[in-house]
Amino acid sequence: MPTRNRFALWSVLGALCVLPAAAASDVGPTYAIRNVRIVPVTGPVIEKGTLIIRDGLIESLGAVDKTAVPEDAEIIEAEGLTAYPGLISGHTNLLLEDPAAGMGQRGAAGTPTLPAVAAQRGAGTAGETAAGTPELMLLTQLRPAKSTMDGFLKAGFTTVLIAPNRGIIQGQSAVVNLNGLETGPMVLLTPAALHVNFTTNRGGYPSSLMGTIAYIRQSFLDADHYANAKAVYGKNLKGMKRPVHDPFLEALIPYVRDKKPVIFQCNNAEDIKRALKIIEEFKLSGILSQANEAWRAEAALKASRAKLLVTLDFRPPNGSFYTSQGEDLRKKAEAEIYPSNPAALAKAGIAFSLTTFGLTDAAAALRNVRTAIKLGLPEDVALRALTLVPAQTLGLDRQVGSLEPGKIANVILTKGALFDEKTQVERVFVDGVLWKF
Amino acid sequence: MKRTLATLLLATLAVLCAAGSAAAAGSLLIKNGTILTVTRGTIARGDILVINGIIARIGKNIAAPPGVPVIDAAGRYVLPGLIDSHTHIALAGTNEGSEAITPEADVGAVINADDTALFTALTGGVTMAHTMHGSANPIGGPNVVLKMKWGRPSEELVVSEAWRTLKFALGENVKQSSRTIVAGGPPPRYPQTRMGTNAILRREFLRAQNYMAEWDRYEKLKGSKNPPKTLLPPRRDLRLEVLADLLKGKMVARCHDYQATEALEFMGLAKEFGFKIAALEHAWEAYKIADELAAAKIGISVFADSWAYKMEAAEGIAYDAGYCSKKGVLVSINSDSNERIRRLFNDAAKTMKYGGLSEDEALRLVTINPALQLGVDKIVGSLEVGKQADIAIFNEHPMSAYTRCDMTIIDGDVYFDRAGIIAAREEAAKKGGRP
Repeated sequence: MPTRNRFALWSVLGALCVLPAAAASDVGPTYAIRNVRIVPVTGPVIEKGTLIIRDGLIESLGAVDKTAVPEDAEIIEAEGLTAYPGLISGHTNLLLEDPAAGMGQRGAAGTPTLPAVAAQRGAGTAGETAAGTPELMLLTQLRPAKSTMDGFLKAGFTTVLIAPNRGIIQGQSAVVNLNGLETGPMVLLTPAALHVNFTTNRGGYPSSLMGTIAYIRQSFLDADHYANAKAVYGKNLKGMKRPVHDPFLEALIPYVRDKKPVIFQCNNAEDIKRALKIIEEFKLSGILSQANEAWRAEAALKASRAKLLVTLDFRPPNGSFYTSQGEDLRKKAEAEIYPSNPAALAKAGIAFSLTTFGLTDAAAALRNVRTAIKLGLPEDVALRALTLVPAQTLGLDRQVGSLEPGKIANVILTKGALFDEKTQVERVFVDGVLWKF
Repeated sequence: MKRTLATLLLATLAVLCAAGSAAAAGSLLIKNGTILTVTRGTIARGDILVINGIIARIGKNIAAPPGVPVIDAAGRYVLPGLIDSHTHIALAGTNEGSEAITPEADVGAVINADDTALFTALTGGVTMAHTMHGSANPIGGPNVVLKMKWGRPSEELVVSEAWRTLKFALGENVKQSSRTIVAGGPPPRYPQTRMGTNAILRREFLRAQNYMAEWDRYEKLKGSKNPPKTLLPPRRDLRLEVLADLLKGKMVARCHDYQATEALEFMGLAKEFGFKIAALEHAWEAYKIADELAAAKIGISVFADSWAYKMEAAEGIAYDAGYCSKKGVLVSINSDSNERIRRLFNDAAKTMKYGGLSEDEALRLVTINPALQLGVDKIVGSLEVGKQADIAIFNEHPMSAYTRCDMTIIDGDVYFDRAGIIAAREEAAKKGGRP
């Protein structure tokens, strides 16, 4: 029947067209990693085990003698290697189309520039300047590059949160697996969080930190007011003038109303306290990032439920007291005081993730973990801070962050313990596929 | 020099950290000093007992309760910690200069407790300072009153008992007289004249009144028997909220001004809109309107003798403070400087030469008078039983040209001890460390 034939032909053609692009939706490979030491993070270490990966997920894991190897599995002999869950960096600015764009992307991202809209909200309010682009979706700027990915995967990072990096209210991030050059299959979560930075707006309002804090607060107030107006309008569609649509405020609603996480970049201890105040005022689900002076805000952190994404970039912040009082103190600050941040937090019993924020070289991140460990950070805390804790913080702990049946097969195989000086990451599986460097 | 400072600062930090637990205690006995109470006369060879940060007793032959350390002040002068009524210390940023009207830009949100000016202040016996928004805008933003608790976290510095103050400014700074307008650069900001400044201030006060009326209407409707179902609260505006607080009397104005005419205009606005001016800053021509200021109970916070450094200061005179004091104006001497803050007592003493104030009168300019201007006179500014133990110990009378501050105490804790620091440095030098 002609109709049928035509259908069949189109089906074949369609399949041919779609196939190369749809690799991720295909059935993935099955691997049996044998005789491997397994560190699941959520359970006891298995000294000699087998880890079965099937179609992107961890199918099973256990002692070698108790774990059956499926017939169709490609066997990977891993004697002398250790399997860890792929590391997670909870805040990066990787793979951005143009790191210098961001604020310049404003028009393209559709921020309201109509003076009428801004004027209606009154002078000095959110949305007037490029200081805020909350509606910017990071994913639209993502341009995967193999060289960057190779670097992070070689250091063991399989999952990263990528955030926009310009302006004060910067936009919304995405969490991705570093599994290829196509953005669709990479995504674990988008939008992941709203990003706020205590910076200023060059040449416009706000030009000072105190102005910035007012700007952030006013933006959240406006979003709340807007959400309120929309809700009342929703109940009075007939007989009420509709609120003016505003993409800037629209983008903020899930964060002020529905507890989607807001990540504040905290350059120093005072920024942490400033962020905590805003989180408290607007009852946000707040996360503090960078935070390399977190040890100086211990009391405030203990009194708060905000989560921490602590950077492994130990460079002292601009204006640090410790770098402005002479060479000796500056050297000590760089070599010891700031790299002791994670150890101090661990000692204080404050939970935190470690991130690569501010570092473009993932190998440096691992070197810095070793430094932090030398300065007193317990190894198990370090491992959790790079796996399970960030997964929990980002709400992804059912999918990633440990080696458990059913979780995404992000697995790294190392020769030697992960944080030992000479350890190399030998193999990396992302979404159950062996990465080819 | 830098290294020396670093060692010294770290030494104090270490002392303070070690004294962290003692900080809660805040108890000590100062013995045998000449006590300049400021409000209750002078006591020769007197003692002050401080318990838990509060002055418990002032008198003679007071015995130290068990465990309370004794400071020997024999031959020295004990006075209330000095108060600087106008500074910009310990801040991350001073001006939100991008716009003319920025009352939402609150300096209290950007305290920087790492600023070494806090320590500099302590070395001159200063225990409290009014840290202000800059003078780039007609309406800058709210200011904050801080204790100079060097080494303590920022939140512990804030004096919550003080009045909430809002910074205003008039004259050359806000009309951007010294700004060069470049072709192709940003356009000049309104206002560019004194009449424009007055107009923009009136416009903002009118807006604030409208804002208050809008909220009143809403509250009334909300509380009515049948509120409309489409009733929405007005948009909260952080800018107008602050101005509304000023108009409601929840805040007081502090206004940077130089010339008498602009001061009078601002006083007119205060009368028209019903807000309180606590003090005019710098007020170089206050002597021309001293009667008006005294009648309106408006204070001034001024420099001692540094006039004529720009056009609008041309008619400033060093007799401003002394003359206005005698006319019944509440006068304070301020530093407006991270450096001069340690010589506030010297600047106050200049009013004895220019204006003929007595030692006691001159000392008031940096103690109880600024306390009155900041609304903290019930807790500090003089040595009285029940007040917070912010105390300075000087080797000579503080209005002497030969004086220096030996020790500075806040809430009963020693934050600066000259002898202790010198000893620590000598000890470090002996051990081969840096002096």
